[in-house]
Amino acid sequence: MNFELTEDQRAILGGLDQLIASFGIEAPKEPCVAAFSTELDTVLASDGFLGIAQEDGFGPLEAAMMVERLARLPVSVEAGASMLVGPALGLDPAARPIALVAGDGTAPARFLPMARLLLVDRGDHVLAVTVDPEQVEPVETLFAYPYGRLRSLDGLETRRIDDIATLRRRWRVAIAAEAAGCMQGALDLVVDHVTTRQAFGRPLGSFQALQHRLVVASESTESTKYLALRAAWSDSEMDAAIAAAFAQDRIPQLTYDFHQFSGAMGLTLEFPLHLWTYRLRALLGELGGSGDQARAAAEAAWPCVA
Amino acid sequence: MEFGWSEAEQAHRERVRGVLARELPADWETIAVHGPGSDAQTEYSRHFCKVLADEGLLIPHWPADHGGEDLDVWRQFILGEEVWAAGEPRGPQYMNVNWVGPVLMRYGTQGQLERHLPPIRAGDAIWCQGFSEPSAGSDLAALRTSAVPADGGYRVTGAKIWTSYAGQADTCFLLARIPPRDGGSEGKAGIVILLTDMTSPGIQVKRIPALIGEGDIHEVFFDDVFVPDTDRLGAEGQAWEIINFALQNERVGIPRYEFSRRTLDRAVASLKTSGRWRDPVVRDRAARALMECEAARMLVYKVIDGKAQNRPPDAFGAVARGAVVRADNSVNNFMTEFLPEGLLGADPLQQAHHQRAIAAGIASGAAEIQLNIAAQRWLQLPRELRR
Repeated sequence: MNFELTEDQRAILGGLDQLIASFGIEAPKEPCVAAFSTELDTVLASDGFLGIAQEDGFGPLEAAMMVERLARLPVSVEAGASMLVGPALGLDPAARPIALVAGDGTAPARFLPMARLLLVDRGDHVLAVTVDPEQVEPVETLFAYPYGRLRSLDGLETRRIDDIATLRRRWRVAIAAEAAGCMQGALDLVVDHVTTRQAFGRPLGSFQALQHRLVVASESTESTKYLALRAAWSDSEMDAAIAAAFAQDRIPQLTYDFHQFSGAMGLTLEFPLHLWTYRLRALLGELGGSGDQARAAAEAAWPCVA
Repeated sequence: MEFGWSEAEQAHRERVRGVLARELPADWETIAVHGPGSDAQTEYSRHFCKVLADEGLLIPHWPADHGGEDLDVWRQFILGEEVWAAGEPRGPQYMNVNWVGPVLMRYGTQGQLERHLPPIRAGDAIWCQGFSEPSAGSDLAALRTSAVPADGGYRVTGAKIWTSYAGQADTCFLLARIPPRDGGSEGKAGIVILLTDMTSPGIQVKRIPALIGEGDIHEVFFDDVFVPDTDRLGAEGQAWEIINFALQNERVGIPRYEFSRRTLDRAVASLKTSGRWRDPVVRDRAARALMECEAARMLVYKVIDGKAQNRPPDAFGAVARGAVVRADNSVNNFMTEFLPEGLLGADPLQQAHHQRAIAAGIASGAAEIQLNIAAQRWLQLPRELRR
């Protein structure tokens, strides 16, 4: 047991931070619902960051660390599926961004407008669909990700992958890691806001009613992060389901509190809180939501013997 | 970063489990139900801690100079997980090895070390913690029990409350205040720590019947009790520093999540037997209790890791405390709803867990105070204005 980063882990995260700093990323000046950074997404891939988990000495733990770190940004990039899901299914690393969806493949999916590959959870297998942009229609939503849906799978190149368990396990890790980063990004913004915003002649953050709930939010954030990292490290069904169930379980209270503490400002597009909270709210229902992850966790922890 | 155990750590855990399997009597659960402070469990602790001492498992984390083996904090915690999850057969003595001994090593005089460490090492010392008072619980600095300087020592008068293990204790780690009229400073600087012999004339202990187990909480009255200078720990004015050192990790020092996790495993086994496990709602709720246990485990491990890495203590322990309290209560609520028969005589261990869980947010200081600490020292939020 060791929570310290290794030198190599420190180096890759330091490199990622430098890259992010070189972009000077901040929340968009113009009001927008979702902010996807094509530039950052492209450079992350071309500079090899997204493939780092396949390098010697690295693996899903480092991938999850990077997904978490990237999700703290006010802009989104597609990292979770590319770093955690694709490699585990042996997919071509160049075939990205990757979108994930459950059902028949035509439901709205995050990142589909720019995805090259769509992985569909078909219940008992995975369907890998090579995306034809002509077949994608954008979906308007409050969720702070680019969403799209396929009009139809007709005529698209598809491949069946039997390993549905790996798709779900890694998808759960990705949900938890991305949620942890979004929680941290939102928490930092809200702590800053309540520290500087004055009401009744004192900072909002000096009121105990807010302080206690913000500490609980911090506890949720830290727990989500370490459960996600442990799940990436162990790559076990149980740890992955626990991490995703926990993340999704905590999202409603945490997002409510963050908006509440931001007042009416938090309901505007000018204040960037939604760029994190509406990613969290998108993640809340992913892969069946916390109930599905909870039952998966129960089955993994206490399997029913037929 | 990695989340596994080394071979040596796994072997250590297996060794502890072996001792527990070999030593705990067949009726252990009926002893454990009464709580670590009960007469039965305290008495049993004198046997069990001697066995641990003989096995080199009572104080392996202590420095070799004081009879330990210099093992790291993870080994101490693995031991703690196993014995707490078994219902804590060390009884009140877990406190001695976790913090009383280490505090004495850091701040005690040679005479105090010679007097107090040998019985702790032998597994034959019972201590109690004289902190809370009727009007000073979480607000410890408000304590009023007086220690009036007298020839060769102090004369102590006052009352302590909620004192665990006092009915059996040989020694009290007592906090008292030198009154300003007798030369004491105001506030925290006026507090002294007196390692008080519980057989001293003028001490009266009254057990408080409670929901949380037999013998767990008491009132202790001090009526002009003489405590010699030689029993004062540290200098006058140094007490607050010592208390902070002592409590640094005490609030997450008990691996409550481990007992909760194993009790939950037992509950699930029982629900499977009765057929209720087929209900998806039951499985959902069990998993939600499970994830609270595992979240608490992660945050507590992060605190322990800080100790293992010799990082200066920070307020993260206060964040972790919230997760620990939630885990205990989550499992307790699950079992109370789906296995009420456990609290109706069917499962002594479930009752023992229930009694620990309902005190989790109160024992060792109200969890809400930890939220205040975490808000100001972890999140760096502005302090609440004081009137």
